[in-house]
Amino acid sequence: MKVPSEDYHRLTVRTPPPPPRGLDALAHQGVGFAKRVGGRRKRLEELVEKVQSHEASLEHVSDRHLRDEIEEHRTAFLRGRGDPDHRTDRALATVCEAAFRSIGLRPYPVQILGALAMENNCLAEMATGEGKTLTAALAAVMAGWTGLPCHVLTVNDYLAHRDANWFKPLYQFCGLHSGCVTEDMDPEMRKLQYEQPITYTTSKELLADFLRDRLRLQRVADPQRRLIRHLLKPAASSREGLVLRGIHTAIVDEADSLLIDEAVTPLIIAQPRENPLLKKAVLAAHDLIYDLKEGTHYSIEMRYRELKLTDEGDEVVESRIQELPPVWRGAIRSRELVEQALTARDLFLKDTHYVIRDDKVQIVDEFTGRIMANRSWSEGLHQAVEAKEDLEISEPNETVARMSFQRFFRLFPRLSGMTGTAAEARKPLWHIYGLPIIRIPTHRPVNRTVLPERIFPERLQKWEAVADEVKTMHEAGRPVLIGTRSVKFSEELAAELALRGLQYNLLNAVRHEEEARIVAEAGLPGKITIATNMAGRGTDIKLGHGVADAGGLHVIATERHESGRIDRQLIGRAARQGDPGSAQFFVSLEDELFRRFLPETLRKGLARNPNRPAVLSALNAAQKSAERQAFRRLGSVLSTDNWLDESLSFATEV
Amino acid sequence: MAGSARMFSEHWYRVANQRVALRPGVRTRRQRFRGETWRVLYDPFAHNFYRVRPAAYAFIARLTPERTVEEVWDECLKEFPGEAPGQGEVIQLLAQLYLSNLLQLDLPPDARQFFERYRKRKQKEKASYLSYIMFARFPLFDPDDLLNRVSPYIRKIFSLPGFILWLGLVLGAIKVAIDHAGTLADQSQGVLAPGNLFMLYISLVFIKALHEFGHAFACKRYGGEVHVMGIMLMIFTPIPYVDATASWAFRQRRRRILVACSGMIVELFVAAIATFIWANTGEGNLNALCYNLMFIASVSTLLFNANPLLRYDGYYILSDMLDIPNLSQRSQQQLRHWAQRHILGRRSSTSPAQTRGEAATLGIYGILSGLYRLVVFSGIILFVSKRFLLAGIVMAAICVISWVLVPIMKYIHYLLTDSSLERNRFRAIAVSAVLAISFGLLVGVVPFPSSFVSPAVLLSARQTEVPARTTGLIEELKVASGTPVLPGDSLVRLDDPEWKYRWQDEVALLRHTQALRRRALNEGGTDVSVIDEHLLLMDRRLARLQDEYDQLDVRAPDEGVWVAGALDDLKGMYAQRGAVLGYVINPDEFIAVAVIAQDEARWLFDESGIRRGRLRLYGSAGEPLELGDWTMIPAEQRHLPSPALGWQGGGEVAVSAGEGNGVTALRSFFEVRAKVETTGKDVAMLHGRTGRIRFRIAPEPLWRQVYRRVRQILSDD
Repeated sequence: MKVPSEDYHRLTVRTPPPPPRGLDALAHQGVGFAKRVGGRRKRLEELVEKVQSHEASLEHVSDRHLRDEIEEHRTAFLRGRGDPDHRTDRALATVCEAAFRSIGLRPYPVQILGALAMENNCLAEMATGEGKTLTAALAAVMAGWTGLPCHVLTVNDYLAHRDANWFKPLYQFCGLHSGCVTEDMDPEMRKLQYEQPITYTTSKELLADFLRDRLRLQRVADPQRRLIRHLLKPAASSREGLVLRGIHTAIVDEADSLLIDEAVTPLIIAQPRENPLLKKAVLAAHDLIYDLKEGTHYSIEMRYRELKLTDEGDEVVESRIQELPPVWRGAIRSRELVEQALTARDLFLKDTHYVIRDDKVQIVDEFTGRIMANRSWSEGLHQAVEAKEDLEISEPNETVARMSFQRFFRLFPRLSGMTGTAAEARKPLWHIYGLPIIRIPTHRPVNRTVLPERIFPERLQKWEAVADEVKTMHEAGRPVLIGTRSVKFSEELAAELALRGLQYNLLNAVRHEEEARIVAEAGLPGKITIATNMAGRGTDIKLGHGVADAGGLHVIATERHESGRIDRQLIGRAARQGDPGSAQFFVSLEDELFRRFLPETLRKGLARNPNRPAVLSALNAAQKSAERQAFRRLGSVLSTDNWLDESLSFATEV
Repeated sequence: MAGSARMFSEHWYRVANQRVALRPGVRTRRQRFRGETWRVLYDPFAHNFYRVRPAAYAFIARLTPERTVEEVWDECLKEFPGEAPGQGEVIQLLAQLYLSNLLQLDLPPDARQFFERYRKRKQKEKASYLSYIMFARFPLFDPDDLLNRVSPYIRKIFSLPGFILWLGLVLGAIKVAIDHAGTLADQSQGVLAPGNLFMLYISLVFIKALHEFGHAFACKRYGGEVHVMGIMLMIFTPIPYVDATASWAFRQRRRRILVACSGMIVELFVAAIATFIWANTGEGNLNALCYNLMFIASVSTLLFNANPLLRYDGYYILSDMLDIPNLSQRSQQQLRHWAQRHILGRRSSTSPAQTRGEAATLGIYGILSGLYRLVVFSGIILFVSKRFLLAGIVMAAICVISWVLVPIMKYIHYLLTDSSLERNRFRAIAVSAVLAISFGLLVGVVPFPSSFVSPAVLLSARQTEVPARTTGLIEELKVASGTPVLPGDSLVRLDDPEWKYRWQDEVALLRHTQALRRRALNEGGTDVSVIDEHLLLMDRRLARLQDEYDQLDVRAPDEGVWVAGALDDLKGMYAQRGAVLGYVINPDEFIAVAVIAQDEARWLFDESGIRRGRLRLYGSAGEPLELGDWTMIPAEQRHLPSPALGWQGGGEVAVSAGEGNGVTALRSFFEVRAKVETTGKDVAMLHGRTGRIRFRIAPEPLWRQVYRRVRQILSDD
């Protein structure tokens, strides 16, 4: 039976308080600090012991009795936290026992600790390979019991599908069901999956469904108004076919990449729309910029990937303004158009930022190397790139709805997550999402050697050295994983390896399942795997036979990333779960991080005189500066969003 | 924020399908600024004004609930491609209209945000209250109804005959004032006397009320509405005010200026009438009242209301004359822009001005008004702190917090977090740090010449007291004070009336004795020798009396200049024997004796102590006298070297009223003596002349000097 309040609950969305400012922000920071260093972890560790002792007492209980007890806990959780029977420790113990009986995995204490941290709306920092998936499942059971929607968000479709099926027996044992939503599903199917107590999906799918639901609601999205409308005209409403049943709990895997790295990237629901005006303008601008030269007519600022016309360039544009359609002849607009064309020409590189397939420009994710089909750059940039490549100009997409992940995740009443690396991002995580971090110790001591960085003045020298190192390792029978920044670099390195006659696997624009297979194989003796930094996240590299004795997996990071977290993720792939392993950074002064975040003069000075401590401290400074910039960007995007919300609240969005 | 001149905006979808329009009640008026026809949107309910550019107005005017924003935008693009606003601009425009409650929506607006906005506005108002505490406003009633009733008369007053009448009166009054210039100036000294303050205030309130009604009338005359009248606490002094901002929507500049002027017009009118009455009445209450009215309605009007640097009428007049609305705000923006572009190196900063001339005007106005504000407020604070120390300290603290600390905090916050500085934060911080450090060095470390001033008296180095050698009445000054005298010159003549009787007595006694002697010789038989002896005694007594007589003539003991004490005053008074009547001094050598308060005393005994001192005598301040050969007397004392330094003698040192003839200081002090170089100076060196010595001391950083001054002010009471 459909009750009016169901619709109400579906659509009620929390209004997140704006991030504190000024003195409030300081106080808020203080609270965050207290939460971090306060006794929370200790309390949870005590709780873990209790859970384990309960668990031990459950060992000989029959399945039926266990199910009965689980049912009791489930109803207690359904009644809410205030209920006297709401005993997290006992409940979790039954779940752990159920996990052992249903899927044969007995959670380690660290996993229990992680589950408890998430139950307390924290971000659990767990090293890679510590069984985050099971940890999430434990927390998901407890969230599912509350009867409120629980979404477990994975990195990709493959993992969503895999995990949902993997833990299905556990959920069933606990009186729950799990669903999974992947990209290829139709709305009917999605609806069905979202109806499940626990739904595995990717954040992109969830946000897209959320936005599409909002679009379906059309005019009246406010739940209270809808309720009134429903009572007045029952027939007119509830025909929208909403897919989601609301949002409440989110358990986010690899939370840092979603909440920080991709936080400001908006998810856009768009449809192509004819815009002859833009087409003409883009073509005209493409012709106009033919003669413009860098340095004289415009200057490029690498750090911000930005381009600016000089006065001389302005004059050229001014003299040829008649070539542009009338709408674009204004001083500011013409400049904007020309700068965009120049940006497309000089800053967007074929095979780095995009590839051409079937006479279409397709965007390449710089970090994963994946081709992002059906994505396009906004506001004419895509068309400008098409003009540059002499392709047919496509119709620009018109945004119909958009939201950044940052805004989306702030809407969840309960947000928790796991990641291998969060410490660097603790400030934004707390400031923007109110997520405190709890560091979970590893189950076994870490046996990883990180060798000192090697520094090279030029990139090519670096590739040679990397290739030599790979060869040595390969001959020693150790598997090597090489992380590169972009597809282009992985190909450069591949060429270098090919020169030395080495066999390698290149992770590059392939499907997730295959990617996971390659990553899983990367631990076999002598295997050489080149992967972009982000590729294959969420999959374990299990060591092959005899590898551990040879020294385990060796990870070579060929560049320092803008974010220290991503570096740590990469080297964290070596030496998991107590295995031996090693990692080393190879850095050249021509790396992007240096080019963008160090002053030109300093960089040249270092290249002339590559004094090791100086380079290392410059490296750290550049990384710090990059991290700060990213954090600020989070804040400024949020405040722009808030401003828009406030001042355009007549144009209801959420 | 989201707005820019960009053609397309990523947020366009939010407004594209909205159907919005200006609220029906919103009125539009044209105004010309710098050759462009702007529109002023006016919401009579909320009394909001919103000024829009022509191109933006062309867009707004086309908005109707029948069409979506996108349709209207497309139409604008077709009709005037070059000027039509870009999507970003449209978003910004709609947002601002919405926030000013000028938009009609086809959906009921989000009530929660409505309240949130209201709450924020209230909060801001409360916060701004503190910074406007010296100009807090309390609205009291709505005078519009009243004004409507009298508006037929207003029309008659604000007319050409009215103006001619006004002009005639004012010109006449000026003539009268010039005729009575002498009395006018004399009486002006009493205006700020404590006894007059109450009357002054009453006159002030009366005139300012008329002034405000002047604004209200003028505004009404040209069709504006006046809805608020109330009391403003100007520096804690209640004064009426009226809200005539409706005139901002007037199309004609002339009328806007006239409304701004009308208050002063009324005041000058009152001043004119008061002048006539004042000139034709004798001394008395009415006369004094009229004088006060004249004073306030002319002087204060010209000083405050007409002054464009304060935000009163003159400001709005200037703003209209220059054709720059929001002059003060934009001049600050201009200064900020200059600072951002040239100091912080933020190239993307844009000037609020459209032409160079406008930019210069804005900049100059910004600097002048800033300086003026500083001067006015320092003056007010000093004035208040002299009367009420605590209030002064509180005011100073508020000013320091709101004008120094808060801006500094904001600036630091801006430097560290503002995203517009992303590009050159390093340079911005570096330049700011350099500026801050240089300022710190300049104020806190670099020594500046420093000095202090103390009262001093000029004394002759070598002086001989001229005492009264005998008791007597002072009869006459034989030689004027300041005349060079030779030893033995008669200076003062004393008179001892008793002496005459004694002399006559003695002479009579002598005659009697002589007669006795003659008889004795005649009659014989008596021993004459006894009488002779007696006579001898008599002679001696007479001689002594003669001596005493001579001593009544006070003579110069030495060569030098005769300096009488306060003898002229004492003429006819009784001088005790031994009382000092004056001095004969050496005219070539003088010393200065300075009385130095304890606050400054540490300099006296400091190694680097006093470097140099200059004495300026009252009346000859243009001719400073160099001092040398310092002697400090290393003990506190209370006995002034000359009564002329004390309050009772017209000096500035506080003295005890009861004891010691005005030479006992209330607070102990240190005495410094120094030789005065007199060569080549044409200054009348007179013993006992007072003046001030400026002591040049070891250079000190500015902050120490300021700190010292402040401490002195605080310890003065």
